[in-house]
Amino acid sequence: MNAWIVFRKELLDALRDRRTLFMVLLSSVAIGPLVLVALSALVAGIEKRAEERTVVVAGIEHAPTLRNYLERQTYRVDGAPADYELRLKNQSLGDPVLLVDKDFEAELARGEAPLLEIVTSSGNQRAGSSVNRLTRLLRGFSSEQATLRLALRGVSPATLEVLDVQERDLANPQSRAAQLTGMLPFFVLMAVLYGALNAALDTTAGERERGSLEPLLMNPASRLSLVIGKWGAVAAVGMLIALLSCLSFLPAQALLRSETLAAMFQFGVREAALFLALLSPLAAALAAVMMAIAIRCKTFKEAQANNTVVILGVSLLPLVTVFNQSGEAPWHLAVPALGQVALMNRVLKGEAVGALDMALPLAVCVLIAAAGVTFVARQLRTAALR
Amino acid sequence: MIDVQRLAKRFTQGRGKKAHTVQAVDGVSFVAADGRITGLLGPNGAGKTTTLRMAAALLVPDAGSIHVDGIDVQHDPQAALARMGVLSDARGLYPRLTARENIVYYGRLHGMSDSAASQRADALAHLLDMTPLLARRTEGFSQGERMKTALARALVHNPPNIILDEPTNGLDVLATRALRDALRRLRDDEGKCIVFSTHIMQEVERLCDEVIVIAHGRTVAEGTVASLNAQSGERDFEESFVKLAFSAEERKRS
Repeated sequence: MNAWIVFRKELLDALRDRRTLFMVLLSSVAIGPLVLVALSALVAGIEKRAEERTVVVAGIEHAPTLRNYLERQTYRVDGAPADYELRLKNQSLGDPVLLVDKDFEAELARGEAPLLEIVTSSGNQRAGSSVNRLTRLLRGFSSEQATLRLALRGVSPATLEVLDVQERDLANPQSRAAQLTGMLPFFVLMAVLYGALNAALDTTAGERERGSLEPLLMNPASRLSLVIGKWGAVAAVGMLIALLSCLSFLPAQALLRSETLAAMFQFGVREAALFLALLSPLAAALAAVMMAIAIRCKTFKEAQANNTVVILGVSLLPLVTVFNQSGEAPWHLAVPALGQVALMNRVLKGEAVGALDMALPLAVCVLIAAAGVTFVARQLRTAALR
Repeated sequence: MIDVQRLAKRFTQGRGKKAHTVQAVDGVSFVAADGRITGLLGPNGAGKTTTLRMAAALLVPDAGSIHVDGIDVQHDPQAALARMGVLSDARGLYPRLTARENIVYYGRLHGMSDSAASQRADALAHLLDMTPLLARRTEGFSQGERMKTALARALVHNPPNIILDEPTNGLDVLATRALRDALRRLRDDEGKCIVFSTHIMQEVERLCDEVIVIAHGRTVAEGTVASLNAQSGERDFEESFVKLAFSAEERKRS
């Protein structure tokens, strides 16, 4: 009963902290969809250039045969601007430039290998992404020429094709998209963390700093019920942020500019519900941990500094999958934050997430939350003062 | 009624070799009767606040006993707290809640219903002359407004015993007078047992029916202002207090 009274008061208190709440919403709830939209703009740009089929060439007048080939492949040949080197460096030119030597045609006719240079800058990502396409195109030209020469000498072109190599991609569209959307769970996680942080500090160290902890402890309510009420409110704020940030992806999808990405990134109500089911226990556990750290601090500021450890831990743990190339290990699921990110990524990839997979992180979170709440209650019992 | 007997409390500061102990309270005894205002008077560091904290079950005494209306505070702190209203020197309010919400919150924690706590808040606001404050958020309250709100919060469950730790700290003349009036009314109209600590002479002279002089963690004298004056052979209460609370050596040094 007392816990419920405390819960209601703390929740009201946290929700009235409009400015903080607004900043949390802005910085953490909005950033996921924003990144998604930015990502889609990037992918859309790449797709657009892939469809454009232009080649930028300097000195195409020296190579009519090559021009003929490029045009037969339905490519448009653009002359390179005179200051192409500078423009590639400062990224204002988004295509690699092909340099044709002035003796190209003559050397080609003599059967010598004429030099073609592809000029790009590895600092220029837009140009870099088209280099492969250009190389493939030139290889096609080269093999056409070779085939013609072999045919002139009466040799079957098949003698050069000893192997027939073909790629087969096993990834479904969703798992391809997950390469791009893999960072989204991380943003959601951060949203929950920062959402709960302020409330966690305000109900513990903030209460002590304000001088309202001592009067509160002079009420005939058990310490545990006070702590449970406070923890419940902090966890509820975290869950609310989790809910908002999951839901924010639903309308964000409509803004996706890349059709391929929109087709691949399927984030429906089911995905949102799974995200929420993963994040809610984590919010509860993080709330307890942050409160346990903050309760020993005398001021809000000190508590903030001490909680940097938690924030750092939660932001670094998901990186284990990046550093560890061997993929997802079973123990990952038992690590808070890491387990949730791994499972959220599975959800995004459209892979199956079993009840058992959900149960392990849940059990870990319950344990952590219980330990944190007990610790805070004990701290209040023994060190009520300063 | 609050009955304190041979209370003792020692604090240890630091750890290991650097540790040194401070005997904050070393044998404080007094009885505060119902319908009376009892003042704990003592210099800074005499042990007043520590004594009151032990009475409010915030600290566990090393020795001695505290009974509130016959309830042993150590044995059953929650029952004792239900019969006490404590205004300690920490009187922080929740800045984002209104004064009424601050008061009702404590009422609810004392087991009152929402409406009962709210009614009580109105009654206390009338007593403390703070009705216009009730609907305002406490952020930006003046010291006096804060004190009134904190006092109303401490009294929301209508406790028969009231403990105030240096309640006039930081208050101006008008606010101090308003507080004094309120305490007198609580004593005369409702027969409360009021204990408050202070180091200000005038306050004790104007308000207290009974004075407990505490120095070096001990009760060194008790009685009415007049009887303490008689005991020390001084006409001025300040002189009496200095004589009673400090040794001849301490008086010479200052």
